[in-house]
Amino acid sequence: MPKQETEILDDVIVRNRRKMLTIGGIALAGFVLPTVLSKDAYAATTYSDSDILNFALNLEFLEANYYYLSAFGCTIDKPNAAAIAAGAPSGGIPITGSVGTPGTVSAMGSSSTGTPFTTIQVSSYAVETAIEEGKHVLFLQSALGSSAVAQPSISLDVSTWSALAQAAGVIPSGGAFTPYDTDDDFLVGAYVFEDVGVTAYHGAAPLLTMSANLSAAAGILSVEAYHAGLIRTAINAADPTGTSIAAYTTKISALRAALALAASPTTLSGAAANPYDTNPDDYGVTTFTTPSGLGGGAAVTATRITDADQTNVVAFARTTTQVLNIVTGSGAVKNNAVVSPATGIFFPAGLNAGPNGFK
Amino acid sequence: MDKLKEIIEKTFSRRRFIAAAGGVAAASTVVGLTGCGGSSPHSPVTTTPTGGKFTDTDVLNFALNLEYLEAQFYLYAATGKGLSSADTAAPSGYAGSYTEGTVTAGSAAMVAGTNTQQQDIINEIAYEEQQHVRFLRSALGSSAVPMPSIDLSFFGPLAMTAGITGPTFNPFSSFDYFLVGAFIFEDVGVTAYAGAAPLISAAGVTAGYLTAASGILAVEAYHAAYIRTAITANAIAAGSASAYPYFTAANQVAALRATLTVGNSGAPSTATGNNGAPGSSSSVETALTLPTSKTQASAIVAADPTNAVGFARNVNQVLHVVYGSPTVGTAKGGFFPNGVSSIFATTTA
Repeated sequence: MPKQETEILDDVIVRNRRKMLTIGGIALAGFVLPTVLSKDAYAATTYSDSDILNFALNLEFLEANYYYLSAFGCTIDKPNAAAIAAGAPSGGIPITGSVGTPGTVSAMGSSSTGTPFTTIQVSSYAVETAIEEGKHVLFLQSALGSSAVAQPSISLDVSTWSALAQAAGVIPSGGAFTPYDTDDDFLVGAYVFEDVGVTAYHGAAPLLTMSANLSAAAGILSVEAYHAGLIRTAINAADPTGTSIAAYTTKISALRAALALAASPTTLSGAAANPYDTNPDDYGVTTFTTPSGLGGGAAVTATRITDADQTNVVAFARTTTQVLNIVTGSGAVKNNAVVSPATGIFFPAGLNAGPNGFK
Repeated sequence: MDKLKEIIEKTFSRRRFIAAAGGVAAASTVVGLTGCGGSSPHSPVTTTPTGGKFTDTDVLNFALNLEYLEAQFYLYAATGKGLSSADTAAPSGYAGSYTEGTVTAGSAAMVAGTNTQQQDIINEIAYEEQQHVRFLRSALGSSAVPMPSIDLSFFGPLAMTAGITGPTFNPFSSFDYFLVGAFIFEDVGVTAYAGAAPLISAAGVTAGYLTAASGILAVEAYHAAYIRTAITANAIAAGSASAYPYFTAANQVAALRATLTVGNSGAPSTATGNNGAPGSSSSVETALTLPTSKTQASAIVAADPTNAVGFARNVNQVLHVVYGSPTVGTAKGGFFPNGVSSIFATTTA
């Protein structure tokens, strides 16, 4: 046992090395699709690990640009002095790729200083997360090599954020919201992304065929969950009684859950219930009463730093269609049928994906 | 306590070079075998690898041992009592050889002096770890191992070995001490699941084990993020590390964890093993940072500094931490006075 186990881990270790993680041109005819995912209606049956990692890359472009704009006031490809001082690559993060022309990022306007944070806590979280999400872009680009897609067009401007905030009921119809004004606003903006990232990597992990890719995905999954836990902790600290931004999180989670349900395998095809059909699959940062007691004792009130199902406390997973429906604001499903390419909200022109990819 | 420290230091200095060198050699061999494309399919990870036998059940039972430990710690912190006997006994129909152990509570008790918000946090983590025990036991059915013996009084010796000064370390004496106690476990839980996920067989993937394991991995990372964020935020609010000594204590724990696994069998994120210095390119630890201006980054996420990909620990590395021993061949100790109830109980590297 010991030797074999070590060998397996060494195998993972070595193939997990960045320069080893090139997967272009690999035949994946032997791909074993977990049965629970076979109903993902529009996914081509011939998709590869590259397609899955490119789907993740699109999401990382979105996240990284949001955090760069918040922390530094620039996009990932054009780092300013503040970004470089914090550790951003001085030449910028590449946004070119083998599929698609690099899209632009529409943001909040002419500000080049980022969010005017008032606390060191929230500001340092933004800086840390920006650098880490930027590294995820670079890591996936490195792993994909010549297969990496270009950055899609991304909208992070006031119209997008306002539409989202209105849909969630965070602001009244016709109101305006951007996450670039205050510490609290930044946290709300970050909240929109982070748990989605967790569910996306969680949903994708079992689809990957190569153990090195699986290890990498598991590692990024853990980082996304750290980010999500960080944001939820900060929101809980800022609003422990759930009267302001914590209340928003409940509305945002409800919106995400509704968009996920509309794109769930059962909704789309009448497939038997599976782990991706959990509804709701999202909870805001509020207290709840535990469904069962602690030890032999009674039920208790608890916070909800963790976004997971209440019984087994396993984080939620979403299919690519569900994730697309969330990040495009219901662009992936119309009348119970999948729409591809999905466009809207953060991705006005859709994602960049190869012929068998996810968009 | 001093003895433990002595053992660690001796072993560390003597074995470090040899073990690290061995790690390099092993890794190099694998490079030669797999080539540069990294194109092997998932097949190396099967239920019965050539030359060795472990099953998905073994992997999940190893995780269950860790969940028993975490659940007992958090439940005592939340309520002053541990898991109910229904959650620790051998399941109906259990045919394995392990027997149910006991908990050495030591000074374990409800964490003193918490406010409502803090109590709700402890309640959350306690509930969630308890449910992980139940979930894994349910998934394993009659194959689930009963709870091994657990020693919650090991925090004191561990803290002393880490160099945490002041009164005897007791994670139940205040919320701040609780945070440091939780810090000992949380990143380890994350890395253990990250290390275990690729061990699950293809059949196990189809059966949903990988989805379950990665879902629990995410929850452990949520918990770890809470602990790291709370400690960091409190230190920033206090203005300096000396004004919030729990910050320094947490980093001493991280350094000790690294020392305990030094040179042992190679961190999965590296080819050369863990050199014991948190934050270095070959470590599986990320020390907390204390930003003193708005342009500095926090270090909430524990991940490799190059790619920001979360760390993984293999079973040996996990055992070195929870046994509190860097010695190869150790089968018990630390939080598990009789060892974990697992075929992986003895450290082999």
